[in-house]
Amino acid sequence: MAATLTPPGMIDITLDGRSVRVPADTTVFDAARMNGITIPTLCHLQNQTPVGVCRLCVVDTGARVLAASCVRPVEPGMKVVTNSEKVLGARKTLLELMMSDHPSPCARQQNSGDCELETLAKAAGASQPRFAKRTVARGKDDSSLAIAVDHDACILCDRCIRGCDEVKSNFVLGRMGKSYSAGIAFDLNSPMGDSTCVSCGECMVSCPTGALTNKSVVGTAIVVGPGAQGFEAEDLLQIPVFKGVSGTFLELNRGAIVKRRFRKGDVICREGEFGSTAFYILEGKAKVSISTPIAHVKTQGGAKGLFKRLSSTLVAREEDKREEEVRDRTIPIDASVDLAYGNPVAELGPGDLFGEMTCMNFYPRSAAVIAESDVVAFEMLRNVLDIMLKNKTFRGQLDQTYRRRALENHLRGVPMFADLSPDFIEHLKESVELQRFAPGQTIALQGDPADSFYLVRIGFVKISENYPGGEMVLAYLSRGDYFGEIGLLGGGVRTAACTALDHVELVRISGEDFRDMVARFPSVRTGLEAVAAERRAANQQRMQMVHNVPIDQFLWQGLMEAQSLLILDLQNCTRCDACVNACADAHDGITRLIRDGLRFDQYLVATSCRQCRDPLCMVGCPVGSIRRRNSLEVIIEDWCIGCGLCAQNCPYGNINLHPFEVMVDDPERAGRKKPAIKQKATSCDLCTHLKEPSCVYACPHDAAHRVDPRTFFAEMLGQGPAK
Amino acid sequence: MRMDKTQRGWALLTLAILAISAVVYVLYAFESPQGPRGGSTIGLIFGVAGFSFMIFAALLGARKRVPTWRVGRAQAWMRGHLWLGFLALPIILFHGGFHFGGTLTRVLMWLLLITVFSGVFGAALQHYIPRVMTSDVPLETIYDEIGSVRALLRGEADRVVESVCGSLGLNKTSGEDGQRAGGFTALRTIAASAVLLRSTAAVSAGASAAVAAAPEIILLSEGESAPLRRFYLNDMRPFLERPKQRGQRLGDTDKARAVFSGLRTLLPAGAHVTLTDLEDICDEARQLTRQERLHHWLHGWLLLHVPLSLALILLGAIHAVVALRY
Amino acid sequence: MARTRTTKKLAQRIDLNYFKRPTPLKRAKFWLSLLLPLLGLLWIAERTFFKDSRVYSSGRLSEPHAILEKQCDLCHARTAGEFSAGASIFGCLNCHDGPVHHSVDLSENDCVSCHSEHRGRINISATSNASCAQCHSDLRAHRGRSDYANQIQSFESRHPEFAALRPVGGVAARDPGTIKLNHAMHMKPLRTGATGSEVQLSCGNCHAPNAAPRPVTYSDARYVSASVSYLDNSGPGSSSPDTPVERHPPSGWELMAPVKFANACAACHLLTFDKRFDYGAPHDKPEVVHAFLTRAFREYIAAHPSEVRVQREPRRDLTGKPLPPAVRVLTSAQWVTERTAEAEDLLWRKTCKQCHTLTPSRRTSHRKIELPVNQGSNTDKLSSIPAELPDVAPANTTLRWMPHAKFDHGAHDGFTCVSCHAKALISAESSDVLLPGIETCKTCHAPGPEHAESRCFECHTYHDWSKRKEVTPKFTMPLPTGNR
Repeated sequence: MAATLTPPGMIDITLDGRSVRVPADTTVFDAARMNGITIPTLCHLQNQTPVGVCRLCVVDTGARVLAASCVRPVEPGMKVVTNSEKVLGARKTLLELMMSDHPSPCARQQNSGDCELETLAKAAGASQPRFAKRTVARGKDDSSLAIAVDHDACILCDRCIRGCDEVKSNFVLGRMGKSYSAGIAFDLNSPMGDSTCVSCGECMVSCPTGALTNKSVVGTAIVVGPGAQGFEAEDLLQIPVFKGVSGTFLELNRGAIVKRRFRKGDVICREGEFGSTAFYILEGKAKVSISTPIAHVKTQGGAKGLFKRLSSTLVAREEDKREEEVRDRTIPIDASVDLAYGNPVAELGPGDLFGEMTCMNFYPRSAAVIAESDVVAFEMLRNVLDIMLKNKTFRGQLDQTYRRRALENHLRGVPMFADLSPDFIEHLKESVELQRFAPGQTIALQGDPADSFYLVRIGFVKISENYPGGEMVLAYLSRGDYFGEIGLLGGGVRTAACTALDHVELVRISGEDFRDMVARFPSVRTGLEAVAAERRAANQQRMQMVHNVPIDQFLWQGLMEAQSLLILDLQNCTRCDACVNACADAHDGITRLIRDGLRFDQYLVATSCRQCRDPLCMVGCPVGSIRRRNSLEVIIEDWCIGCGLCAQNCPYGNINLHPFEVMVDDPERAGRKKPAIKQKATSCDLCTHLKEPSCVYACPHDAAHRVDPRTFFAEMLGQGPAK
Repeated sequence: MRMDKTQRGWALLTLAILAISAVVYVLYAFESPQGPRGGSTIGLIFGVAGFSFMIFAALLGARKRVPTWRVGRAQAWMRGHLWLGFLALPIILFHGGFHFGGTLTRVLMWLLLITVFSGVFGAALQHYIPRVMTSDVPLETIYDEIGSVRALLRGEADRVVESVCGSLGLNKTSGEDGQRAGGFTALRTIAASAVLLRSTAAVSAGASAAVAAAPEIILLSEGESAPLRRFYLNDMRPFLERPKQRGQRLGDTDKARAVFSGLRTLLPAGAHVTLTDLEDICDEARQLTRQERLHHWLHGWLLLHVPLSLALILLGAIHAVVALRY
Repeated sequence: MARTRTTKKLAQRIDLNYFKRPTPLKRAKFWLSLLLPLLGLLWIAERTFFKDSRVYSSGRLSEPHAILEKQCDLCHARTAGEFSAGASIFGCLNCHDGPVHHSVDLSENDCVSCHSEHRGRINISATSNASCAQCHSDLRAHRGRSDYANQIQSFESRHPEFAALRPVGGVAARDPGTIKLNHAMHMKPLRTGATGSEVQLSCGNCHAPNAAPRPVTYSDARYVSASVSYLDNSGPGSSSPDTPVERHPPSGWELMAPVKFANACAACHLLTFDKRFDYGAPHDKPEVVHAFLTRAFREYIAAHPSEVRVQREPRRDLTGKPLPPAVRVLTSAQWVTERTAEAEDLLWRKTCKQCHTLTPSRRTSHRKIELPVNQGSNTDKLSSIPAELPDVAPANTTLRWMPHAKFDHGAHDGFTCVSCHAKALISAESSDVLLPGIETCKTCHAPGPEHAESRCFECHTYHDWSKRKEVTPKFTMPLPTGNR
C-alpha cells in the first residue's frame, strides 16, 4: 500500500476496487463516469443541477445506507462499490417500483423505443414488477400542439423542470401536488397549451420517459422536393423566430417545416382545399383572393318555366345587394388581412403569416393565394407554427402587422363601429390587446366582473349559460362577431360564460376604452344597446324554454334546438313529393329538403334546415359564409368555398354540397372566363326571396308546415310525455 | 288530403253551386220547349262552366310543375280541384240534359264519368291510406328510394352476419352511385384529427351515432354459427333480395318472430344482439314492402285519372270548338 | 339496440336527385298521359281523314233524316266569312215546306224551336207539349184569338173539354142534327126486321168509316143504286176557316161516313105509299117524291083502266061523315090526283115524318122540279101541283165533331164502339151529343210509357198544309263509295 501524495485539489478514492484520483468536489457519479464506469440514472442530466431524486444511481460507499452517486461528492479514501449484489438489488427494486407505475410501453417507447426507464428495467430484468399497478390515472394533457404530456409516465425526475428553469429560463414548469398525486405542472397547473409555455421543447428533450413527447402531425409531412428545401436544425436556429428553441426539438420536427420558392403566378394554396400547413412569407408578394365568384345563386322563381335547369344563374354582386349588406363588410379570411366585399383581393408581403386557421384547426383554406412575384416562404405544420407563435419576437411582429393592416377593417366591419373617428381608431390600434386561447379554454366565466369587450379575430367562441342541471349554448360567435357588451353596459358582471371552441384569437378592448368609446360616440352606444337588449331577450326566452320543456324524445331528436322545423303531417301527406319538387324548382333543380327523417308524433320532421339555436354548422366555416341573419335564420352566403365542413358538422344532415357551374378565370388565357364546376353548400333558406317556403306553399294537402317547435308542440308537450 | 272541417267552406260552396244550378236546370228544363239542350244559352252556360271547372281541375297538374309561382297556395288549388272537379260532373250532366248525345259526346261523357269517379275514389284513398301508412309503416322512407334503401339494408345485414359468422363469400354491393343527401358528399378529405365538435345539440341528436358504430365483433366458431349462417343464406338473404315473393316465412310478422325466437335458442347469447339487429332489418324490409303496396294504392289510381282527364280536356276542347261552330 | 336511426343517417340513404329519376309509376303515368290524348287525337284525325263528321254529331238524327247522318253540311251550311255553321231554317227549307200555323203568322219561330234534331232515332215531328205551350199556355200574350182556350199547357193540364160537349150559355150541348133517332131503341132487340123476327142491331149495321164498305145488312139495293137529288150536308165545324189541313190525305178510316138511308135504314123503314105497288117511294126531296107518285099512279091507271071505278071500303066508314057514293067512277086524272094525295098524305104525315122534320112549305107549288136526268125518261112538266109539299129540314149530320183535332176511328178499332160512345145505349134524343168526353180519352192518353201518346201533336197539327207550296228537291243521294 503505497500512500502516494495526493496533489492539492485532487482526491484519491477506490472505485470498484480500483484506485482512482479525481478532482475534489466531483460527485461519485462523475468520478465513475470519468473512469469509464457507467452508473445508471434517470433523474440526472449532465447539463442540469443534480437533484438525486430517482435514487437509481445509488452506490455502496461503505456507509450505513447506500448513497445517490449523482449528489454524493467524493471524499478522500472513499471506497465505492457500484455493482455489488446489494446495490444491484436496490436498483432492481427501485426499477420495479417505478415500472409498476409506468404505462408500459409508454409513448416514447412506442415511438422511438428509447424510454430510459424501460431500457434500464429491461436490463435489470425488472420489466414485470412484482408490485400492484397504480389504480388511479394521473391523466394526460393534449393541449399543446407540439408536446404531448402523459402524467402517468412521469417518474418525477424533474429533468423537465430543470430544463425549463435552468437551461431556458422560462420558468413555466414546476412541481405540483403531494405524494401519490404529485406531478409536474405548467404555470399554476394550467393545461400546457394554455400556459405561458413557449414550446421551446427543452422539457420534452429532457424527459427520460414518455411523459413529455414530441407530437408529430399524424400522417402529414411536407414533401420536400424541388422548390421546397428542408432544414437542418442548425439552419433553423439561425432564423430569428426560432431563437431560443431547443435544437433537439427542432431536429425532431425537421419534416414539419420547409422553405419553399414560388415563381410568379404559382398557386401557393387553393381555397376550399383541406390543408395542415401555414405559410410565412420571407420574400416577395402574393395575391390573396377568393376566386369563387361572389354572386348570389339566384332563382327567378318560376320564371324559368317548366324546364328546370341544373345550372344556376349567378348574378354579379354589384347588381344585386342583399339587405343587411353593408358597404364596409369584409369577408374574413385566414390571413392578417380581410377581404373587401366588392373586390375580394388583397396583397400579402414579407412577414405575413397565413393559413393559420387551416394549420391549427384543420379548417379548409379560405382563400387562394397566388404568387405575385417570386416568393420565398416557410411552409410549416402546426407544431412548428406553434413554436413560432409562442415566440415572443414573432408574436410581437404579428401583432404589429395585424394592428397595422387589419384591425381598422375589423373594427369597421362591425356595423356599429363604422362611425368611429379615425383618431379613435388610431388610439384603439395602439391600446387593444390581442389574446389567444386554446380549445376549451375559458375566456370569461359567468358572474365574473366584466372588464373588457372582445372582438373575435380567429376561431369560434361558445357563449353559454349555466342553469341548474346543465349548460345551454346561447350562441357561437365567429370572426367579426363581438361579445362582452352586455356585461359592460349592464351590471358589470358577465351574464354568460365564454369558451374558446378551437384556437381563438380575440381583440380585447379594455373596459376603459370601451366606456370612452361609448361616451364619445352615441351611435355606438345606441347600436350596442339595441343588440344587447335583443340578445338578452333571446337568451331569456331560451332559458324559459329550458324550464318548460320535458326532456324526452323531443329533446332526443334535437327538436328543442330548432327554431323552425319543416314538418309533414303524415295523416295528410300523400307522399306526392310536391314539396321536394317545389324546393328543387325554387333552387335551380336542387332540393334542399329530403322527405325522410324521424317522426315525432304524427309528424315527419323532414330533413331540412332547422335554424338551430345552436348552429353547429357555423362552427369552423373558414370564410364565415354560413352565418346568422339578424332575424336568426342560418344562411349560407355566396362566397362559400365548398369545403363541406358545415355539412359534416350538421348533426341532422341538412346541409348538402352541390356542384354549380360558374364562370371562373381561365388560367390559360388571362382575362377570359371559363365555366367550371364549383361545389357550394346549400341548405334551406326558407325561400326568403319568395316570402314563404316553397315547400309549404306547394303542398297541396295541407301537410307541410314550417313551425316553431316550441309553440307548435307546446300543447302536446304540456299534456304529458310525448311518445 | 284529409276530408275534415277545413273543407267545410268548399263543401258548402260546392253544394250551393250545385243547388243553384240544379234549380236553374230544372226550371230551364221545364221551360224550354225542346227540353234541355247543350246549345241553348243556359246549356252553353252550363257547358262553359263545366268545362272551365274541368280546365281548372286539370290546371292543377300544370300548377304542380311551377310550384314556386305565387299563384295561390297549392292547397287552395287542390281543394278547388277536388270540389270543382267533382262539380264538373253534375254541371256537364245539366249541360247535356242527362243525354249522352253522339259519338264524341258519348266518349266525353264516359271519360268524364270515369275521371270524376276515379278522382273521388282517389280522394277517398288519399284520405285513408296516409293514416294507414303512418300507423303501419313507421320506418317508411321515400318510395323512389326503396330499392336503394333495400340494398343498403342487405349490405347492413351482410355485415352484421359476417361479423358473427365470418365471411359468407357474398358479393359486396359496390355502391355509391349518385349524390347522397344528409351531407354525405361532405365527407371528403377532412383530416382525421379534425376537431370533433360536441355540443348539447350534437349529443342530444345522437350525432355521435351518425357515424355507425362498428358492431362489437364476437366471432363464433363454424359450428356455433351454422344455424345462423344457414338461416341467413336460405331464408333471410332471399327475403331481402326478393321481399315481394310469396310464401316466405319472413314475409309474415308472426312467422318471422317465431323464426327468430327459434334461432335465439340455437345460438349463444353473444349473438343475440346480432339477431335483434337482423330481426329489425327484416322488419324494416317488410315495412318497406308494405309501404310500396300502399304507395301503389295511393298513387296508382292516378294512372287512370290523369291520362283520362288529359284526353277529356283535349277532346272536350275539340267538342267545344266543333259544337260552337255547328 | 345497436341500430339507431338518426335524421342524418336516414338522409344519407337517399339519393339527392332521386326525384328526377323516373319510377315505373311516374313513367307509366307520363306515357299514359301522352298516349291517351294522342289516341283521342288519332281517332279524331282518322275520322276527319275519312271525312266522317258523324263523331261530332251531338246525337243520332231522327228516323226520316237518318240518311243525312253523314252529310252534315246539308244542314250545317257554311257561310263564307262566318265562324259558325249552325243548322238554320234554310237547311230545312231545302227539302221541306213549312206552312204557317193557323191564321197567326208565327214565322219568327224557327223550325228547330219545335223540331229538335240529333236526339236519336225519334219521330222528329213528335214535338213536345212545351213547343205548343210556348204560345198556348198564354195565348193572349201571343196575339192569339180569344175564342180559343188560351191557357193550355198539355192534354192533362188545362185542356178544356171538347168544344162539342161544352155547354153554351148554360144550355147543354146539342147535336144539331135533325134526323130523329132514338139510339137507345135501336140498340134494343127489335121485334121486326128485315132479317128475321127478332133482330139485334149493332153499331156497325149503320156506322162505318168512310173507307169501309157500306153496311149491307139493312140496305136496300134499289135505294143504294138510286141517285138522289138532295145533297149530303156536313155538320158545323167541318169546314172551320182556320182548321189546319192535315198534311196527309185522310185514309178514310178516321171518321165515320154519314149514315145513309139506303144503307142503314131502308131495310126496315120501308117507304111504302100504296098497296098497289110492291116498291116504296124514293128517298128524295118531296118534289121528286110527288113527281114519282104522280107518274107511278098515272102509269098504273093506264095499265088498269078499270080501277077508275072506286069502291069505298065500308069498314072505313067510321066517322059518321057523309059518305061519298060507294062506287064512284073517276077520270084517270082524277084518280091519279086522288091516289097521289092519299099516298102523300101517308108519307108526309107518317112515313117521312118518323125521322125527318117536315115543315109545311111556304113555297108555292110552282117550283121547278128537276128530276135527275137519268131518271126522268118520261119527264112531265108539272107546272102546277095542287098539293102543298113540305120542306124537309136538312139533316145537319155532324161528320167531324172536333174540327181542330184529328181522330182516327181506325186506330181505335180494338175497342167496341160503346166502350167510348157509352151514351149511345141510353140516348133517346137525337139532340144528344154522343161524342165521348175528354175524360174518356184520358183513360188511355196520358203521359208515361204505359199510356197512349198524350202529347199535343197526337190530335193537333201545326202546319196548315192547305197553304203548302211546292218545293224543288235539291237533295241527291250520295254516290255509293266503296265498301262504306
